[in-house]
Amino acid sequence: MSIIKKLALVIVSLSLVAVSSVSSAKPFSPKKPIELIIPAGQGGGADEIARLVQGVIEKNDYASKPVIPINKKGGSGGEAMTYVKKKAGDEHTLIITLNNVLTTPVNQPELGIDFFNDFTPLARLITDTFLVWIATEGKNTQGVETFDDFIALAKGNGLVMGGTGSMSEDELLLGMMRGQFGFDAKYVPYDGGGAVAKGLVGGESDFTLNNPSEQMGFYQSGDSKALVMMTPERNPAFPDVPSSYELGYPDLEYYMMRAFMAPAGIDAEVEKYYTGLLHTVYHDNEFQTFNIDDGKLMSWLEGYGLKDFLAIEYAKHGEIIKNFN
Amino acid sequence: MDVFILLLEGIFVSFEPLNLGLLIFGCLIGLFVGAMPGLGSVNGVAILIPITFIIPPTAAIIFLAAVYYGAMYGGAISSVMLGIPGASTAVATVFDGRPLAVKGEAMTALTAAAVGSFVGGTVSVILFTLFAPPLAEVALRFNAPETFALMVMAFATFVGLGGDDVPKTIFSILIGLALSTIGLDLITGKPRLIFFNIPGFLHGINFLVLAIGIYGIGEMLWTLEETKGKVQMSKLSVNMKEVGRAFGALKKTIMAMNIGSFLGFFVGILPAAGATPASLMSYGITKQLSKNSKEFGSGVPAGVVAPECANNSASTGSMLPMLTLGIPGSPTTAILLGGMILWGLTPGPLLFTQEPEFVWGLIGSLYIANFFTLVLNIALIPAFLMVLRIPFAILAPVIFVLCVTGGYAPTQSLHDVWLMLLFGFAGYILRKLDYPVAPAVLSIVLGPLAEKALRQSLILSDGSMGIFFDMAEKPIAAIIMYIAIVLLIMPAFGPLYRKFFKKAQTT
Repeated sequence: MSIIKKLALVIVSLSLVAVSSVSSAKPFSPKKPIELIIPAGQGGGADEIARLVQGVIEKNDYASKPVIPINKKGGSGGEAMTYVKKKAGDEHTLIITLNNVLTTPVNQPELGIDFFNDFTPLARLITDTFLVWIATEGKNTQGVETFDDFIALAKGNGLVMGGTGSMSEDELLLGMMRGQFGFDAKYVPYDGGGAVAKGLVGGESDFTLNNPSEQMGFYQSGDSKALVMMTPERNPAFPDVPSSYELGYPDLEYYMMRAFMAPAGIDAEVEKYYTGLLHTVYHDNEFQTFNIDDGKLMSWLEGYGLKDFLAIEYAKHGEIIKNFN
Repeated sequence: MDVFILLLEGIFVSFEPLNLGLLIFGCLIGLFVGAMPGLGSVNGVAILIPITFIIPPTAAIIFLAAVYYGAMYGGAISSVMLGIPGASTAVATVFDGRPLAVKGEAMTALTAAAVGSFVGGTVSVILFTLFAPPLAEVALRFNAPETFALMVMAFATFVGLGGDDVPKTIFSILIGLALSTIGLDLITGKPRLIFFNIPGFLHGINFLVLAIGIYGIGEMLWTLEETKGKVQMSKLSVNMKEVGRAFGALKKTIMAMNIGSFLGFFVGILPAAGATPASLMSYGITKQLSKNSKEFGSGVPAGVVAPECANNSASTGSMLPMLTLGIPGSPTTAILLGGMILWGLTPGPLLFTQEPEFVWGLIGSLYIANFFTLVLNIALIPAFLMVLRIPFAILAPVIFVLCVTGGYAPTQSLHDVWLMLLFGFAGYILRKLDYPVAPAVLSIVLGPLAEKALRQSLILSDGSMGIFFDMAEKPIAAIIMYIAIVLLIMPAFGPLYRKFFKKAQTT
């Protein structure tokens, strides 16, 4: 991307921030390094996006102070959320979300996290989706060509599904599919998406629900194939994989959101500053190209739209968890 | 052969000015982050990732691999000179490296570490060059039951680690295992053993917190008590005779080099293990198989060579599943993997054919990085030795500060600093009571890996332990399991046997 274009973007975003803050005394700018809390380990999907955002901000000097990613992976995000809750009013702390911010407060009530009052949602940048994967040479899934073949097979046989962690998106999705299609599977938890993908190709599990980037290498080499993508439309990165809507299963729709939140109790000025900063990152060419190539959906959302989205997703996850137990 | 042409091209790539400059710079940074307690290669690489967005991917991976690599060397420096493990990968280096330094043979320890690292690194990069695709296949077939069998084997070697007092060793292993269960349960997702509801326990007990506490703080307290602060290291002159003696000592470490290089590489290519377990296992096995295994822990060069050889070998090995399968073989490669994806590369079976310059540039650079760090380390030994000339009254507070920052750095939480101090006192008391502490440190590393593999296996087998002994279905797991049982029985019966044998002789 040309320097002029970059400059233009910076100017546009700065002016956005400036215009929005005309009413108040003076615009906010960070006074010390910004902590970016990652509620997952190093090397995972959230970590990847957090470090990409950090890199884009630093490379282009979008912020006056550096962004420092800190991994707090304990307790399915519980440790990170407890940390941010305690930081109420702090103007230099952000958290990137996985869907565990929607499930952990419900699964671990002892943490005392109130999803709607302990955080200030800033913006959603990306949504990632999930696909149903089988190994091309899977010994228990031979002859499976379509998602319907798969459902028929899974109903009769106890297949093994590999997934990331416990009560994570993967296991919840299995619960959702059990309700919709009436098959169950033996769930084996692994450490991360990469290990899940390897377990499938290595023959330990029969199917997985990896997101696009986790299986990309094996998909390109032909070692694994996807049967359905849980979205209304096909994804350009996987042209041969049908969407769940096409197959007539519109209820099989699921997203992983990559959003950013700040602690509760920050000034409107601070909220505006960080939303503006994220907006600049979102429109950065490098950020766009990387995510689109990786099969992710660029889906900016802020303000009331974001709050509505979070409320709907929170309720949806609560429902899935209730049915699961 | 094709491989050699590709390798030569790769070596040429790493000699390009930008790449060579970054390689040397990376090795130096690696030495520093490795030597600084608590920083280590994981943090070093994570901190540097954003910088790599402005350079081409090949230069970026060469730079970060050099950091990773340099850190494996650097970790040994503080382990030997200060008795604080510089990085988790260098904990096993403390076991014999520190006693050597105390005996006045720091020169020998540092030479052994540098040469051992070089040998391990070189053997593994050669194995990598020649056998990458078939080895990737092995890594792919190495699943939960195989991993658990390997962990049992590792535990079996520990029983011999604490000397002849088997009950005390088993006690120490169990303490480590109990500590390793604190935090998040992988299978049920529920928090376990969160004492007093302190959120800091949610991320579990970090291995480095325990190791730095026991070795850094515990060692310092011990030294203060023993010497009343009047520590003076002897024989600090660096002359040709000393250098000759240091290299001469390496003759006895050939077996350690072999075990370290091959075992390290093998453990490295297995997903999710990495250089820390590799170095610990290599130390344990070398000790078990050594003729003078009783001397281990009191300062033998082989005890430094084995872990140092293994950690370099494993760090190269762990790049194999990263490149070919897209799965990290160690925590550091998990971050490198994230980097590769951000640079627009897709790790996986096709990477070797789609991005030959990247892959072979990396492999080529490993040869160069190995050579460079060896020269650098040998040349810097006199500078490192200066540390020992500092009076202990000045050194002790410095060690204390390094321990505190080292305890804080991995998780950035003050909670862990308090824990580290607590472990320091506990370690000191255990030492006074003559309990071996190394097995506790080892089992906190391997405990979570073993637990996860065990429970995954049992889910697959519907709770039957038979999955580990099934010669027809899972021969690799079964064979490793049987070897483990033999290893376990050997030291447990060794003392009994010797007692009986001695009695028979005297009567």
